[in-house]
Amino acid sequence: MIVQMYVKGLMFDPYNNAYIVVLRDETQSEMLPIWIGKPEASSISLAMEHISPPRPMTHDFMKAYLDAASAKVISVVITDLNDNTYFAKIHLLHGDSEYTVDSRPSDAIALALRTEAPIFVNESVIKKQGSEELAQWLENLKPDDFGKLDT
Amino acid sequence: MQEWGDSLVELKVDRVLDDSATDTRIVVLSRSDDPREHLMIWIGASEGEAIRRILDGLVTPRPMSHDLIKNMGEHLGIKTTKVVLTDVKHNTYFATVYLDAKGVTRTIDARPSDAIALALRCSAPVYATADVWKRRSGQNLEAWLNKIESKQLET
Repeated sequence: MIVQMYVKGLMFDPYNNAYIVVLRDETQSEMLPIWIGKPEASSISLAMEHISPPRPMTHDFMKAYLDAASAKVISVVITDLNDNTYFAKIHLLHGDSEYTVDSRPSDAIALALRTEAPIFVNESVIKKQGSEELAQWLENLKPDDFGKLDT
Repeated sequence: MQEWGDSLVELKVDRVLDDSATDTRIVVLSRSDDPREHLMIWIGASEGEAIRRILDGLVTPRPMSHDLIKNMGEHLGIKTTKVVLTDVKHNTYFATVYLDAKGVTRTIDARPSDAIALALRCSAPVYATADVWKRRSGQNLEAWLNKIESKQLET
């Protein structure tokens, strides 16, 4: 089962000098924090604010590349969570065929926001990570938990 | 080479330098037919690192942004055929990425950093127009490197 989720916001994690993108479902009952790198966070932030920088940033270029190829992003899916590393898939439509490309969640989300493609999360990923409230979850984190980032 | 005729200068991506004063990177390109002639472009840190990784042959556990673009192209049967540095205005360089989408040529406006990071992953050649080459910065690479080195010694 997959659940559609929306980008709720970005947070800065000062201990790890990294960013957290927070996804929530429509009813606000499920939540998924994902640790991402700074360049991807700034790209997601530009897309959330609908800011078009004077020159295309990397994910704008990625979108332009797909446009030039006449390919459309159908959806992105956060598929798995392993040792605090998340995996995502980008589903593309090109001609009559569908293609699935392996991606980091940060790139997938940055691209989804620009192409207005829906973001889905595998329920198993939410169960693993998203069942607690973020504040409580952050409080319980130990430094060891921050070993791997989505960078 | 449609609109540029014979006036394109083929470039080799030589290396990526750190500009520690501003946390930016400098990509150094050299003329394929005369490696002593350089062109330098100031680029962002993350794009600079994307170029450096591919120059150094580093493979990351997860695909980084430009790896993802390359992978998408492979899935879709799109070939990146070349990158051209088409213009420079107030030290901002402009690039065009040429794609071959099943026999049809398409072009995309890009920053040189993204264009070069993708070109290196797709083994696509990088060119500058003769005009951009003429107006480039980087003619005095050696002097410039000495300046960086002496700055770093001071700090």
